Amino acid sequence: MLIARFLALRLAVAVPVVLGIVFLTFMLIRIGHQDPVAMLAGPLADASTYAMIRKELDLDRPLLQQFVTYCAHLLHGDLGRSWQGGAPVLQEIIAHYPITLELVVLAVGLASLIGIPVGIRAAMRPNGRFDQVTRFGALTAFSIPTYWMGLMAILVFFYFLRWAPPPMGRVSLEVIPPPVVTGSVLIDSLISANWAAARSAAAQLVLPVGCFMLLAMAPIIKQTRAIAIEVFGSDYMRFARASGFSRRTLRRMALRNSLPPVLTFLGTELTSLLAAASLIEYIFSWGGLGQWGLNAILQGDFAVVQGYVLTLALSAVIVFLVVDLAVLLLEPRSHRRA
Amino acid sequence: MKLHHAVFAAALAAGLTAGLATPAFSQQNTLVIAMTATPKGFDPDIWVPGQIESTVNVYEGLTRFGMGGGDGGRSLDFRKLEPHFAEKWTVSPDGKTYTFKLRKGVKSPFGNELSAADVVWTYEKSVWQKRTGLFMKNVDRVEKVEAVSKDEVRITLSEPNRIFLSSLTLHIPTLFDSTEAKKHATADDPYATKWLAANTAGYGPYHVQSVQAGQQAVFVVNPNYVFDKPFYSRVIWREVPSAATRVALVRTGQVQYAEQIPLQQIKELKADKTVKVESIAAPGAATVRMNPKFPPFDKQKVRQAVAYATDYKAIGEAVFLGLGTRARSMLNPPIPGAIEAYHYETDYAKAKQLLAEAGLPNGFETTLEYSTNWWWEEPLALQMQASLAKAGIKVTPKRISSTEMNARRAINSWSIPFLTHLTSGFVPDPSYTMFLTAHCKGGSNVNANCDPKLDKLIDESVGERDDAKWLKIVADAQKEQADYATFVETFLPGTHEVFAACMQGYLWRPHNRLMWKELVCRK
Repeated sequence: MLIARFLALRLAVAVPVVLGIVFLTFMLIRIGHQDPVAMLAGPLADASTYAMIRKELDLDRPLLQQFVTYCAHLLHGDLGRSWQGGAPVLQEIIAHYPITLELVVLAVGLASLIGIPVGIRAAMRPNGRFDQVTRFGALTAFSIPTYWMGLMAILVFFYFLRWAPPPMGRVSLEVIPPPVVTGSVLIDSLISANWAAARSAAAQLVLPVGCFMLLAMAPIIKQTRAIAIEVFGSDYMRFARASGFSRRTLRRMALRNSLPPVLTFLGTELTSLLAAASLIEYIFSWGGLGQWGLNAILQGDFAVVQGYVLTLALSAVIVFLVVDLAVLLLEPRSHRRA
Repeated sequence: MKLHHAVFAAALAAGLTAGLATPAFSQQNTLVIAMTATPKGFDPDIWVPGQIESTVNVYEGLTRFGMGGGDGGRSLDFRKLEPHFAEKWTVSPDGKTYTFKLRKGVKSPFGNELSAADVVWTYEKSVWQKRTGLFMKNVDRVEKVEAVSKDEVRITLSEPNRIFLSSLTLHIPTLFDSTEAKKHATADDPYATKWLAANTAGYGPYHVQSVQAGQQAVFVVNPNYVFDKPFYSRVIWREVPSAATRVALVRTGQVQYAEQIPLQQIKELKADKTVKVESIAAPGAATVRMNPKFPPFDKQKVRQAVAYATDYKAIGEAVFLGLGTRARSMLNPPIPGAIEAYHYETDYAKAKQLLAEAGLPNGFETTLEYSTNWWWEEPLALQMQASLAKAGIKVTPKRISSTEMNARRAINSWSIPFLTHLTSGFVPDPSYTMFLTAHCKGGSNVNANCDPKLDKLIDESVGERDDAKWLKIVADAQKEQADYATFVETFLPGTHEVFAACMQGYLWRPHNRLMWKELVCRK
């Protein structure tokens, strides 16, 4: 009952947030300097062609009227069509979203698996050698621009060493891709027992996931360390230490008590990386939601940009909801707060 | 998880990478090209990214340019027009009626043979859609298109037009397999435009097999193509948005062609034996345009002063890295009839004198607007700022979005006083190019270039059928434009196409897009 109330409250808060984002995206993109009509009409068009395209795109009416129509369509699950390809935006989101999700979930998952234990270990002896090395490493990884890191990874592992496969999509041209079930080539290959495609998909994932993982891992280590230092300094941990518990047990206790705030941070990290995926996708020709959204922004494809931003907003709402639920389960005391 | 477990996992992942690396893709007869984006549509009437690059390989015209131009006859001669999907044609004595006999055996991948009805349908579609095809129809002055018989079509022009046969080499207005297209027509969409945006129905060498937006498009050869079968029976078009990644791919032989490589990298790639760079001083010149609707550019002497105050040497070195060719006219080679009409050289004293004569002895201030339509716009704007300052002209470069630039420079707007622009045209015909770019009614006239004397010369050149007289008019028009001085002609950045080292057969065409049917890999 408590969880149901909690969920209802969160969803009630999310609705105006999403509506606000939809409104802002709709207005901001239109009051900017981009004119998709000029782009679609081409340099040879005359005034009548401009007017015709403007009408076709529903851009000849007042902004608020356009927005009301857009919202009415949204309520029916119609996100419009791409102005440049004519494909329904919803269909494109369904096709592109799992591609990005595969990349981001793997990166954040691996970054958490490594970053959380490293952060806790570093917190056990603040300013010790391990802590200093870790902090230096995390700061370095965090300071490197994603774009540059991707390019360097391609240069070293693909161009010079020839270890990595060509940064040209999610599966090699030489293998037959699996039928689409989940949208993740790796999972779909495993489901269909297409081992050649699975091998190729795994190889294609290594560099982009590696770069993304490094980017994600640095703040996870930093945040976990800060939280764990606080936990280690708490009364119950001091009592545990005084009681003679082993270092391993202490680490496990610290992990258990650090998890709720770390999980909340991971939620933030996951949503921000979903938005940041565009650059990694761009470098590795990944073809996911980020690359699709970035192209749309550059080409003034308003319907796609709106769909892209709405997807990111809804993803954030869902991720935070799941994280809050997980925290509720991990931290019974937070029931009362909820 | 212990730390050393994590380290072990990372090491294992690195080892896997090594083990899983794939060799260069080497399936014979498959051409892999690294492109900036997958095509957004295939209807030649509707401009969307990737459309022209793909449709020039799908749709072909009634005529074509013959071989025999410069470079030892290995390039096209743009004054030599040959039949292509037409077998022959006749012209009425008044030069207004063309009757084309269609070539036998021209078939689409669907097995339908080209007929006069297809030609008529193509024009009807363009008129209905009111887009690029209609524009070309108007440029060509096409009045009527009628089927004389199944394989004969008559096209009547409103007046004689030199451009007409050249423009029939283009992919627009194109020749659709109307029999197939009509199967996909609906009451709301009688010309199957929705189907043609996502599919192809042409008589050219390739047709689209599949498209995965954001990832790749696959084209396969038209098994019924009437001319020689292309070397490559399949073309895989991979979306590789990053230029650096495209370079890495072509250098390692993973792709046979990479498009839109920045000039900085072209210079380096020219010395690299693993790739082949094909360069040509075409299709257009990087210009700085002055709009005479806005003072002080309404004064001819001010415009000439700007032309003299431009440091051409510095632009050639700093902007075009020594790879450009100095532009000497509003017409550029290889357009027939191009002469060296643009006589301006850097001369600050002369520039100051002209400014004084125009009543501006202390120079003036202006804003030079540029966008990102072409890579050279920003460096050129900055170089112009430095260069014009020496003559007392204070320039503030201002970057605007491409869409804003396209909208404000359009013929119905003309609201930019001073801007950067590339002069180019799809048809290598002087009259067409001059009309398009410098005539008051020209579709690509971006700077309100309305000189009645020039317009008269251009109008005369379009209808003149005597070659000698025509060349004289074309030369006079170029000189008039140089004196009118609304264009600062800088350099032709050139077209630099990057291929894998084994690639041969590249032939530059005025649409400046790659024709896959001509490419061959010989190791």
